[in-house]
Amino acid sequence: MHDVSLSMLRVVNGVILLYLLAPIVVVVATAFGTSPYPVFPPAGLTLHWFDRFLSSPELIQSTRLSAALGLVSTLCATTLGTLAALALVRYRFRGKASVSVLLLSPILFPAVVLGLALLVAFTRAGLAQTFSGLVAAHTVLITPFVIRLVMASLAEFDSSIEEAARNLGAGRLRTFFRVTLPIIRPGLLAGALFGFIISFDELVITLFLAGPGLQTLPIRIFASIEYSSDPTISAISTCLIVAWLLLGVPVYMRFLSVHRA
Amino acid sequence: MAAPLALLAVISFKDYQPGRGIIDEWQLGNYTRFLTDRFYLDVLWSTLLTGAGVTLLTLALGFPLAYALSQNRGWKRSALYMGILMPLLTSAVVRTFGWMILLGNNGFINRTLLQAGLIDHPVRLMYNLTGVIIALTEVLLPFMVLALDAALLNISPSVIEAARNVGGRRTRIFFRIILPLALPGIVSGSVLVFSLSISAFVTPSLIGGAQIKLMPTIIYQQAMALLDWPFGAAIAFIMLFAIAALLIPALALIERRSRLA
Repeated sequence: MHDVSLSMLRVVNGVILLYLLAPIVVVVATAFGTSPYPVFPPAGLTLHWFDRFLSSPELIQSTRLSAALGLVSTLCATTLGTLAALALVRYRFRGKASVSVLLLSPILFPAVVLGLALLVAFTRAGLAQTFSGLVAAHTVLITPFVIRLVMASLAEFDSSIEEAARNLGAGRLRTFFRVTLPIIRPGLLAGALFGFIISFDELVITLFLAGPGLQTLPIRIFASIEYSSDPTISAISTCLIVAWLLLGVPVYMRFLSVHRA
Repeated sequence: MAAPLALLAVISFKDYQPGRGIIDEWQLGNYTRFLTDRFYLDVLWSTLLTGAGVTLLTLALGFPLAYALSQNRGWKRSALYMGILMPLLTSAVVRTFGWMILLGNNGFINRTLLQAGLIDHPVRLMYNLTGVIIALTEVLLPFMVLALDAALLNISPSVIEAARNVGGRRTRIFFRIILPLALPGIVSGSVLVFSLSISAFVTPSLIGGAQIKLMPTIIYQQAMALLDWPFGAAIAFIMLFAIAALLIPALALIERRSRLA
């Protein structure tokens, strides 16, 4: 009886995993097919679509734009996020609870609403359809992730180490760079990495704010698949899937609850 | 973040006239227009229904997966975790693209069913709510699994062992021990998936096309295609209100349970 239900659970989970991974398998498989539109299972084997991606000036420009946007936003978010996390953990101040809710809220906030709100505000401030506007929006979006992960690193951190460093004559800056920073580094790196991935992939808010000159890679993909189907998109997607797996999985496995218990 | 939202709230009480832009006069017209028009009420209703359907499906599919995840240790847990991480690290646009290849009239699913002789003509799976629900459930499933896993990990295997030793049957153990202990995870996972699914834009607009109208897609359409920011803003606040009205009781429930425990 025990074994029967256990193997039933295995079969059920196999089917669910198949469903969960199906679109990824399909996208990767169609990137290598020879037919002029993505069909699954693919016929033939070619690298033509990767070549199409890498030799298209527009797509390369969009990739560069998304990478630049991700890097600058991540830099802003890690700086702001670390300061906010330190303040939230260290200091007691009035309204602290509501500040932490506010700082963490963009995670659950509907992107369409945030996009429209930022469009209205940025149009007044002259930031709509500019690179700085996109950086500001992405920073708002990813800072909460940095705050969360840095706060998690800080939770296990005994603040008397810092006091000891200060008592031994280290200045504030020296204490921060030599004591605090190494301790929060895992959370900081994880936050920065996920921040970069989220920013690079972000579509909805960017759709509201990007002008004709700011076509990020997700916007190009979205515009292209809305009306047609092209294996070049499969090739781009495959590159992204592989890149994020190589970057994201080690960090996830090390810092998050995979190995718990 | 708060300032753009306040500005959006103000805008939602203004009027928009094509050619003249936003009229600077306070009025409730946008809200009454939505709440008295059968068309918009139907959009709200089908959005809530889609959200409820997706939440129930992710719960049904996520539970067996999360249970297996929480019961396994070591490399088995890591391997299973990878299967959930991979979709989580792949953007919704890319995964929706995979579903478009699978669900089309000439897609893999319809061709397979036709070849097997199970159907005479293709089943419509694109540009309707069925397709949106199939794809959206897959897109949001990892969030549910992770929420359930967090709750199930806290159940000590020795509790289940003890129940089995005193002669508890599997179904009884499931309903009397596992399910009640997993309840916080069920509630927080459902809250997360429900709010993400009613505010989802990418998957409904790509799989549903122009025919399927849900709250996020009409907000985008009003704001970006018709340039009626005030009406878009009003719809956004009606959506936020709908999310809050359902979430606040659920969050209060979690709070009360954790205080009782």
